[in-house]
Amino acid sequence: MNLEELQIKIKTIKEQLKNESIVDSELLQTKYLGKKGSFNDLAKAIGQIDPEQKKEAGKLLNELKIHLTETIEKLGKSPKKASFEDLTAPGIEPKVGHMHPVSQAMEEITQIFERIGFSRARYPEVDWDWYVFESLNMPKSHPARDEWETFFVEAPVDPEKGKVVLTTHTSNGQVREMERLKSKPPIRMINIARCYRRQQDATHTQMFHQFEGLVVDTGINIQHLKGTLDYFAEQFYGPGTKSRIRPFHFQFTEPSFEVDFSCHICNGTGKINEEKCKFCKSGWHEVGGAGMVHPNVLKAGGIDPEKYTGFAFGWGVERTYTLKQGLNIDDIRLLYSGDLRFLEQF
Amino acid sequence: MNILIPHTWLLEHLDTDADPKKIQEYVSLCGPSIERIYDIESDKVYDIEVTTNRVDGMSIRGIAREAAVILQQFGIKAKLKPNNLPQTLRPETEVLPLPKISNDPKLSKRLICVVLKGVQRNPTPEWMAKRLLQTEQNVHDAVIDITNYVTHELGHPCHAFDYDKLMRTGGEINVVEAKAGEKFITLDANEFETVGGEVVFKNGEGDIIDLPSIKGTANTSIDDTTQNVLLLLESIKAEKVRFASMTHAIRTVAAQLMEKNVDPNLAKDVLVRGAQLYQELCNAQIASEIYDDFPGNQPLKPVEVKLETIHEYLGTDAAGKQVLTTQEIISILEQLECTVTSKNQTLIIQPPSFRPDLTIPADIVEEIARIYGYHKLPSVIMDTQIPTEKQKGVNFTLENRIKRFLASIGLQEIYSYSMVSEQIALQTDSLENHLKLQNPLTDDRIYLRKSLIPSLKEILDQNSHISDLSVFEIANVYLPKKNDLPNESLRLSIVSTKPYREVRGILESLLAQFFVTNLQVTQNSDTTGTILVSENDKEIGLGIVTMQSNNRVAIELEFSQLLLILKTHPTYQSIPKTAIVTEDMTFTLPKKIRVGEIMKVMSEVSTLITKVELKDIYNRNYSFAITYHDPKQNIASDDLKPVRKKIVQELEKHQGILVGTV
Repeated sequence: MNLEELQIKIKTIKEQLKNESIVDSELLQTKYLGKKGSFNDLAKAIGQIDPEQKKEAGKLLNELKIHLTETIEKLGKSPKKASFEDLTAPGIEPKVGHMHPVSQAMEEITQIFERIGFSRARYPEVDWDWYVFESLNMPKSHPARDEWETFFVEAPVDPEKGKVVLTTHTSNGQVREMERLKSKPPIRMINIARCYRRQQDATHTQMFHQFEGLVVDTGINIQHLKGTLDYFAEQFYGPGTKSRIRPFHFQFTEPSFEVDFSCHICNGTGKINEEKCKFCKSGWHEVGGAGMVHPNVLKAGGIDPEKYTGFAFGWGVERTYTLKQGLNIDDIRLLYSGDLRFLEQF
Repeated sequence: MNILIPHTWLLEHLDTDADPKKIQEYVSLCGPSIERIYDIESDKVYDIEVTTNRVDGMSIRGIAREAAVILQQFGIKAKLKPNNLPQTLRPETEVLPLPKISNDPKLSKRLICVVLKGVQRNPTPEWMAKRLLQTEQNVHDAVIDITNYVTHELGHPCHAFDYDKLMRTGGEINVVEAKAGEKFITLDANEFETVGGEVVFKNGEGDIIDLPSIKGTANTSIDDTTQNVLLLLESIKAEKVRFASMTHAIRTVAAQLMEKNVDPNLAKDVLVRGAQLYQELCNAQIASEIYDDFPGNQPLKPVEVKLETIHEYLGTDAAGKQVLTTQEIISILEQLECTVTSKNQTLIIQPPSFRPDLTIPADIVEEIARIYGYHKLPSVIMDTQIPTEKQKGVNFTLENRIKRFLASIGLQEIYSYSMVSEQIALQTDSLENHLKLQNPLTDDRIYLRKSLIPSLKEILDQNSHISDLSVFEIANVYLPKKNDLPNESLRLSIVSTKPYREVRGILESLLAQFFVTNLQVTQNSDTTGTILVSENDKEIGLGIVTMQSNNRVAIELEFSQLLLILKTHPTYQSIPKTAIVTEDMTFTLPKKIRVGEIMKVMSEVSTLITKVELKDIYNRNYSFAITYHDPKQNIASDDLKPVRKKIVQELEKHQGILVGTV
């Protein structure tokens, strides 16, 4: 055999492997690289080659071996043909947990307001009477305080800031936010926090959550409050949801409003197929309070009410969340029960 | 406060053809909220929420007045009917002497009364009984019910004294503040003792003969033998009424009205209307002139408002985009019975006597805006500057990412109460080291918690049917500080039924999400450890891990410490160009060994060692995977021989015996 013949044989083996129908790499290994494989057969023939050409022949054989090894390895890695699978068999889920519904609501609320320039802040849950009531235009023993069933903490009374209370609303963040910004508007705050009131039934828990919006700047007016409320309603409950404000009274806002969102079940009509909508009161849901910041509150925060105006709103997270379509939570105490049969549904 | 208003009673004061549905819709949009309409005694009855600043709306006539203005705004015919009451009353029989009255103008703005003679104890007529039932008031007999009826109709409480009993106590009424320790018995036979400062009526001897504006006392009130009545209205200062009513927890309708500044000008109409009803229903005769001492008869302070301020609040213009003309503004205020004069773009507004709530420009703005209609104002998102100075020390995005990650790897988020029971509090610290509520509502919520762990353990107990359960919560704990608010410290806690190493693994994978990989735990006792990471050769404590009963694992981390170490992105390490070698070694280690410390020893044997992992524990045999890497050259097996030997030597110092050979 001379070099030329060897090259032809090498070419033949390569071609053969290329057109191989066997896909099992072990079989291929035996057929080409095994003891009685094509490579060994060819290598034995090297003895017949002219000694001068032996070196070159060895090189060619070595190349062939590398080629065969690599090609077979590659073939071995090639995807196996799919076989029968019972696609009707049920799935096996990975174990996942759940974020608490209140966290989910708070995250969504935060994101909605962040998109229109609000930043979230956090203020104490245990606070001085001054921030919770007095700075909000509610002097001591004012009848308006009756609306808040307040928890008091056993602690010394501060001569200036009064008693220590559990915050009955997130509005304690109003004057605190003004102080944080050194009484320099613009302010666009959202404060979401735990609140506490001395009451407990299917729609009230001793602990609950509120979110508070506060905007202060020059030229802020009622239309801006309406715009912000409408924006939130559409984003949180879906397109077409409207807000409306009705007269109300809070000591810390003037004018004060009660805020309603249109019912998304009956589109604010109060009727479904000529029957009374069971989900709402005449087409609207009450969600909470709002108003233009009272000049005395601005003053308490060191802001000149002649120069600046603002609006504020504060609603229960639970109430706002449970109005979502189809949610059907009829007892908000479940939220804080720690009952996994409830929590795992979210 | 809510008030019940029967539709037909309302129509005695309001001339309108609007039906109850329309009245509900429109009045709610611009005035007090009509929350419901009931069908009671074959009439519609409105349930109306009147806000505390608008006590003028706490009567049939008050609501009629509001409704008249609002309905007209919607183009509906509506008018407040005149009340047609005589200006005064004249004695129609032999005059009975009035008691000797001495008022203190600092305590009562007005005191007005009249004597009614020969009062017959007739039953309450059907029409009046029906209205009292509709408005959820008790029906007694006419002599008593007339006072409640006129109060509901016109809005000023009044009181009927037994004239003869009053005269027998000495025939004197002195309006004074009580001293502490004085006793009185109310008409429903409850005994009280004054704390001092309550406004009371006293006779000449200093006995309390009435708790005015709150409740009558037994020694002067009507009983079965009453023949003559002194009908009396007083106007005790609101804060005085509130003080006495709250102090003694006597929360009568009268007290709840009078503590909110009822207009003393209403008193005469109520007196006259009441006297008329006594004449009609009890055949009483007027037996005195009207006694009327009215030192508080002063107009309210006028309010000055710039037109500019009104437009600023409403976003309106006198001409242009959202038009509200000065004429419209004045007209609304006049409909509300204000007197308006204008000067240099400023309005001077004299509120009517029944609107003491109108004191500042914003109050005037509210009146204009609500009657104009909030629904007519457009919705606009403000285009003012967005603040950029964010609050420091908070990271809500991070909190949410942590929650989301933990939930996605199988943990359940919990919200548990910040207030806990004595028993739960004691699991963390002694009771005196906790903040305590002065007025808890229930026994299980008394102390402000200092750790989240006991609450989460309780949740695991409550859900004991789930054998594999891991829960977490991010919430404040409350650490008392002397003479200051507590330190509210945000914590992340995890409590789990899983084995310790798996729970620690949860924490490690959480930190790895935020590119922190060098978590360490130092053992403080058999069941407690400190969690820390080292950064720039400094150890930063994150919190604690404890083994709880039933082998539950509890972790509590300080959120502010997490904020210090968690990163938003990693530091890129170039991909190694030289080979990485991993070898296994197995050692038999003694009981109660702290394998973490052993691994630390191993990793410090040579700079070639880049990682030591615990692969397996079988009995007391611990298998480790040791990774070697030299960034400069490939490591040969021979290079590692001395390192392996050194590892064996080091472990022998800790009673570790190699399994096999090196």
